[in-house]
Amino acid sequence: MARRKVSIIGAGNVGATAAYYIAEKVIADIVMVDVIEGVTQAKALDFLHAGPLRRYDVSIRGTGDFSAVADSDVVVVTAGVPRRPGMDRMDLLKVNAGIVKSAAKSIALYAPNSTVIVVSNPLDVMCHVALRTTGFAVRRVIGMAGILDSTRFRYFVAQELRCALTDVHAMVLGGHGDQMVPLPRFTTVAGIPITQLLDQATIERLVDRTRKGGAEIVAYLKTGSAYYAPAASVAEMVEAVVTDRKTLAPCAAYLRGEYGIENLFIGVPVLLGKNGIERIVELDLDESEMALLRESAEAVKKGVDELDTFFEVR
Amino acid sequence: MKQVGIIGSGNVGANSAFFIAENGTASVTLVDIKEGLSAGKALDISEAGPIRSYDTEIRGTDDIQDIRGSDIVVIAAGRVRRIGENRDDLYRDNAPLVGRICADVRRLAPDAVVINVVEPVDMITLLAREALGFDRERVLGIGGLLNSTRLRFLISSMLGVSPREVSGMVIGPHRPGMVILRETVRVSGIPAEKLLAPEQFETAIEGVRKAGDTILQMAQRSTSYYAPSAAVAALVEAVARDTRAILPVSILLKGEYGLSDIAVSVPACIGARGVDRVVPVEMSADEKQEFLSAAAELRASLQRVAAEAGGDSHG
Repeated sequence: MARRKVSIIGAGNVGATAAYYIAEKVIADIVMVDVIEGVTQAKALDFLHAGPLRRYDVSIRGTGDFSAVADSDVVVVTAGVPRRPGMDRMDLLKVNAGIVKSAAKSIALYAPNSTVIVVSNPLDVMCHVALRTTGFAVRRVIGMAGILDSTRFRYFVAQELRCALTDVHAMVLGGHGDQMVPLPRFTTVAGIPITQLLDQATIERLVDRTRKGGAEIVAYLKTGSAYYAPAASVAEMVEAVVTDRKTLAPCAAYLRGEYGIENLFIGVPVLLGKNGIERIVELDLDESEMALLRESAEAVKKGVDELDTFFEVR
Repeated sequence: MKQVGIIGSGNVGANSAFFIAENGTASVTLVDIKEGLSAGKALDISEAGPIRSYDTEIRGTDDIQDIRGSDIVVIAAGRVRRIGENRDDLYRDNAPLVGRICADVRRLAPDAVVINVVEPVDMITLLAREALGFDRERVLGIGGLLNSTRLRFLISSMLGVSPREVSGMVIGPHRPGMVILRETVRVSGIPAEKLLAPEQFETAIEGVRKAGDTILQMAQRSTSYYAPSAAVAALVEAVARDTRAILPVSILLKGEYGLSDIAVSVPACIGARGVDRVVPVEMSADEKQEFLSAAAELRASLQRVAAEAGGDSHG
């Protein structure tokens, strides 16, 4: 079996930490590509120096040359800028759409058989940019959001119940953060729904904290945002695809009628394997859950419509 | 480092030591009356360490005195069930041996959490609790956890999903009448019943009920030991690292689920002192009925063997 290869475009905190988690899994060689040269090479070398102690022996390379993504099995796109003071939503959308578009062009050119995992924000809209620019099959363009919301929710539930983290599973749908649609009925501890273990007020408190999970960390850091949990989420998705693990997890997927939603990327439960998204699971949602999901879809649609005002594929 | 004493170095005892070594959660002393058996297996496990990257201390001994002061004691002695054998007969053979072992454990490791693997597991766990005189929280049997891992595997293989995200709780006696809690059988939180055809779900449930017999039939001369050993290692890890994992274990009930003076598997939060708390779980009317009738069968067995022994009856 040939060695697997994962490329990460954007070697900031999320990209580099994801590279580190993937290295520790020893499942693929890694290439980090960033327009800021030097830093990327340095990070790659630093990771390699840690290998003898951390017991990974994969190849890790840092470069400014986008052709280095050639023949990757998976390409992760984390590139983009955070919103700076004075920038409005539309400014951010424009800047990041440009960055993701140029990354996607390289992916289409050099790694035409890869699966793309999009992390850049605003996530659901950037998934559109990646899908349109690469022209890849929809199952091979996946957005990272739900796994992150879900790992935060799992952590909060385990803390509240003082039980082992690994027993908790959580399902969240919809967009990321504010637009998240938590599903307490499908959130369980050793299979027992949390609705049996926690009262309604407590569940709402934990859901609210999850929604604001990113903001809570930004508030501490002042400058900068979370990257350990986001990078861990990326590594989980990469592992599922590279090792064909068949992991059922919430990810942003392009919907064509599922949940009554057409032509939008929305967070839903998907089965991840070597072919990318191998199945989209449609849950029986109750009315309030469905209403939240539609609201979430509206917000994503608005972003895509904005994108259409300036974005051309070529 | 926590110390685990494993009494019985047969397939379950030795493989438990091996899984614990790989987890690196505790140092292990394997004990068996058969001379040299424990020392040989302990050395073999230790010699795999450089390749498998563990450095857990594994010792083997013929002298039960060497478990003195253990934090955890695993009882994996006695003989296994034969094809078609009645569980009462197995109890008759294993009970006196476990009684003698418990007298030693009580003296040598009075503060230990004891994990029983000896079959019939619920009957022997009840006996061990009495013989040890420990708080019930410190005497656990592996039945439910073993059946749960088998259920999770069967569901994951039917669905073609990774077993890591599959949950599923099996409680009640470790007998064909065990209770599969349907609501808890999920993949990443999503009920497996929604993902499987109804007949597949029933097939999985029947598969779990017969899992032990299936392996016994296939292997003929040996019963299963990898999955039971994995269950032991999971319990040892939960206790040694105080993980508070929620696992179904056999424990003496005191009114939970309407039962007393009987040990059967129920969901429990496991930590450094054994069972931290029994976790209540909702059952459907059918499941409650199954649970109580399986418990009644178990109680009838207990009464039969107690009557023969001329001793006092269990409730």
